[in-house]
Amino acid sequence: MSTNTQLAAGALAGRQPTGAGRSRRPDRAQSRIGITFVSGYTLFLLVFGILPTFYAVYLAFTKANAFVGIDNFVKVFNDFRFLPALAHVGLYVAVWVVSLILLVVLLALIVHSVRARWLSSTVRFIYYIPGALAGASSVMLWLFVLDPTVSPVSFLLHALGNQTLVDTVQLDQLPVVLAIIAFWTGAGGWIVIIYGALNNISTDVMEAARIDGAGPLATAWYIQIPLLRKWIAYMAILSLAAGTQLFVEPRVLSQATRGVVPLDYSVNQLAFLFAFKQNDFNGSAAISLLLLVVALLLSVFFVFRGGLFERD
Amino acid sequence: MSSQHRRPSARSTRIIALTASLAVAGLLAGCSGGTGEVNSDYGFATAEQVEDSTITIWADASRQPAVEAFEAAHPEVKVDLVVDDGSANGSATFQTKIALADQAGDGWPDVVFSTQINDASWASKETNGVQAFAAPLNKGFIDDEFLSGFTAGALDPVTIDDTVYGLRNDLAPVLFWYNKALLDEFGYEVPATWEDYIALSDKLAAEHPGYFLGSVGDTFLGTYVYYWAGAAPIFTLDGDKFGSDLSDPNSQRVTEMLDHMVANGTLIQDSVFSAEFVAKADKFVGSPGPVWFSGALFQNPDSVNAQAGQWGGSDPLYWEGDDKVTGNVGGGMWYASSHSKNLDAVKTFLEFITTDKATAGTGGLPAYQAAADTWLADQSSSGFYDGDFESAVGAAASSVWDGWGYPNFSVETAYAKVIIPGLAAGKTIEDLAAEWQTEMENEAKVAGYTVG
Amino acid sequence: MSATELTGKTRRGAGSWLGQGAAGLVAVAFVLFFVVPIVWLLLAPTKDGRELLLGAPFSVGGWDQLAANWASLTSYQDGLIWTWLGNSAFYAGAALVITLVISIPAGYAMALTEFPGRRILLAVTLIVMLIPSTALVLPIFLELSAVRLVGSPLSVILPFSFFPFGVYLTYIYFSTTVPRALLDAARIDGAGEFRVFAQVAMPLATPVIALVGFFSFVGNWNNYFLPFVMVPGRKAPVQVGIAELLSNVPQFNPTNAASTTIDLPTLALATLLSVAPVLLIFLFSQRFLVTGMTAGGTKE
Repeated sequence: MSTNTQLAAGALAGRQPTGAGRSRRPDRAQSRIGITFVSGYTLFLLVFGILPTFYAVYLAFTKANAFVGIDNFVKVFNDFRFLPALAHVGLYVAVWVVSLILLVVLLALIVHSVRARWLSSTVRFIYYIPGALAGASSVMLWLFVLDPTVSPVSFLLHALGNQTLVDTVQLDQLPVVLAIIAFWTGAGGWIVIIYGALNNISTDVMEAARIDGAGPLATAWYIQIPLLRKWIAYMAILSLAAGTQLFVEPRVLSQATRGVVPLDYSVNQLAFLFAFKQNDFNGSAAISLLLLVVALLLSVFFVFRGGLFERD
Repeated sequence: MSSQHRRPSARSTRIIALTASLAVAGLLAGCSGGTGEVNSDYGFATAEQVEDSTITIWADASRQPAVEAFEAAHPEVKVDLVVDDGSANGSATFQTKIALADQAGDGWPDVVFSTQINDASWASKETNGVQAFAAPLNKGFIDDEFLSGFTAGALDPVTIDDTVYGLRNDLAPVLFWYNKALLDEFGYEVPATWEDYIALSDKLAAEHPGYFLGSVGDTFLGTYVYYWAGAAPIFTLDGDKFGSDLSDPNSQRVTEMLDHMVANGTLIQDSVFSAEFVAKADKFVGSPGPVWFSGALFQNPDSVNAQAGQWGGSDPLYWEGDDKVTGNVGGGMWYASSHSKNLDAVKTFLEFITTDKATAGTGGLPAYQAAADTWLADQSSSGFYDGDFESAVGAAASSVWDGWGYPNFSVETAYAKVIIPGLAAGKTIEDLAAEWQTEMENEAKVAGYTVG
Repeated sequence: MSATELTGKTRRGAGSWLGQGAAGLVAVAFVLFFVVPIVWLLLAPTKDGRELLLGAPFSVGGWDQLAANWASLTSYQDGLIWTWLGNSAFYAGAALVITLVISIPAGYAMALTEFPGRRILLAVTLIVMLIPSTALVLPIFLELSAVRLVGSPLSVILPFSFFPFGVYLTYIYFSTTVPRALLDAARIDGAGEFRVFAQVAMPLATPVIALVGFFSFVGNWNNYFLPFVMVPGRKAPVQVGIAELLSNVPQFNPTNAASTTIDLPTLALATLLSVAPVLLIFLFSQRFLVTGMTAGGTKE
């Protein structure tokens, strides 16, 4: 389960803190204990959050410790694998985020409308279980599911014209395949969260809608979904940030298909190749920096525009 | 809030200073450290030797029986075998893992096996201030007498500027394998030339559909077994200049042949290691293939599992009127690490693994002449293969076409990326030829070669 | 009220059944989508290679076949799978301890104490925690290789312990469930700040400790990219290890024609083992998880 769903869950769980006492002059004892308590975390934040970012910036703009301006970026952009990798990731993210939003909202609404609580929580739990398999394990499992010779759904694959694993993961279909894998692993957590958000909608509003004669579809469209707008936006932004970092799925698929899924399919894979196959750490840092900036922009947008994180 | 404008407290300043100095110290430490003094006994800068230390070997599962045989024969040498993919299909596992170890300054293995034969192109070079991984072998480490025992030309791919960087595991020249039983049953002759092979395919397709003459579904088949053996210059290297010409007459001949045979059904697209191939093995009439098909396919109970006398090997195919040349499918190399702490054990291992009569060649033709002679004699005397197997292998081994290059990237990645999915989608190699050539040229540029 | 209710219900009669039917169908279809691969994974190790390829997907093999696959997996490289699992447990466990030690006090401090830089720290934490961990892997690798730490367990454990989301979760939790009045009362009674934390806040912190611990452990157990570059080989955790296992499955690595082949069912078993601890944790803490994640604000 990705940290994105975790943090949104946390946001859902939280409420505005009671702000009493903030205007008081902080006393030194509190100040001391506060700083002591955050010192460990702050150290880690510096070493594993801030410093790597600065080091990546340093590497991306230098070569052999000499400042070279945007040379590394130019080199990366002109590499024949860069634009295809961008296109691959872009397509994958588009397919994934759109399908995630549509299906998660749909499933959450359905699960929410189930009256029997035991049924609802069982179904939610079943949707959530695949989240336990993340990273390489889920790709391994999906290797089997995607290979028409061993798959439990081989009839489906054959119907779509796929006779071998190579067929299933051909580049045209690959973004969809990757999106399906990502959805399988990640949707459950989001469904639970959107479900919780649905629960937050006051029953009075729902009652009023019902009295007005709105059927379930109308209620969903006019009442529930608009109230979920913020959550849908967060889901989109967090999935977008995570999706651009695509690495393990194409890497394992590349190994399994013996290169049919190329080793340079995603942007992160390209960064890896730059670092370890071409010994070009500066180029690798340039690519990492690009990805980091994308994630950072989305994150800053989320924090400062999103209302849920209003504090103090 | 007033607290925001207060000076940061003394404690946070100290923390920042500490972290910054740590980082600077670390960077400085990382910058130092280059190559040490050249050890005159070995001809390269050796690490400090620790007697009786365990040697780490990276090899693929196919070499494991040979490594285990070594452990049994030399119990005094402690071996830690780490099984990986042997850089198969151009996965560059060897290169990327060594790059990681170079960065860490630690974690190098003592011996590495790679199925690719072009690794010396990068392993012989110093990178980022770290000494070249592959230890030079002919500067004092291994006796010249031993090195001269290898078949002529076997060590060429790893010899750069007269320095030998690796030992060849096996020779994998391409000969023609034929199913004697089926050919006799259908009344066909063993083809001698590519033209014969094509004509045979037409007859087979017309009279016995479903029977096939080989596969193009493996990255090493299309490239090495057909293009290299057909003397097609699709992967040439001249110094730093890479060349790939799919419009060359030979290239075009091979492309036409492959497209023709895929179209008439005599070339399948299943990998020879796949379950589908094994299921069809009884319809396998013949194919050019490397010598190691012997152990991997024909004498393998989980693969074709031939009966004695059922299959045979004959001279490699050639274009009528042209020189008789053939291709080569890897063969694998053993490299010694220049960072090894137990070079004595490494030497013992390398000498054993290439010469031991029982396991040398790991199912293929050993590169060490004496072991090769034994292997061939064994095959002949067992009568397993029909025809004059020894002479066929000899003809193949001595006629590998020298027009193929060994740059530091593999021809297999472009084939996997462009040809295999293209064929699966129903296109012909002719359709894909331009794209394939561009892909190889692009990979060459990225690897630092000039193209054109 | 009841009259309008009645009319409301009858008006929607037939359409509502159809709608509910369709909704139910969709829900069931997705249940199958999520569950079928897992059921398949549970059944696959009980078959042998041929059964897996030729038999029905949900046929159950035999116990002895399961034992054979188990033996094949555990004897691979003298029990390398256990080394991998041990590594995973070590890295995730050590990181768990460090995470808790640094995150819980930090979250408490940000929520319930006042000190200079608190708001900046909070803002930075929020921003950094939204950055996916993979974005920082290569920069962290380069940073750690500059101090020659790459390849040691610390190179994995330390980055794993950096868990801004855990700090944020703790911050939210403490600010919403521990009333300041309680702390002030303790302070008035003469307790020092540390005692206030230890004796007032900590006893109330069990749920958040469990939550942070859970997310930290699961996230680190499943992490691939970081350990892949930092600790390859024998020190790899199980996620990286099973990807290495692929190179010994004949279907996926063609030049493998030797004795130590890993069959597809054995690979499936390895996959199952690699997720077993997390799966078990999920199963046993499901009620706590689901309610914990949607705690506060849900009115069931």
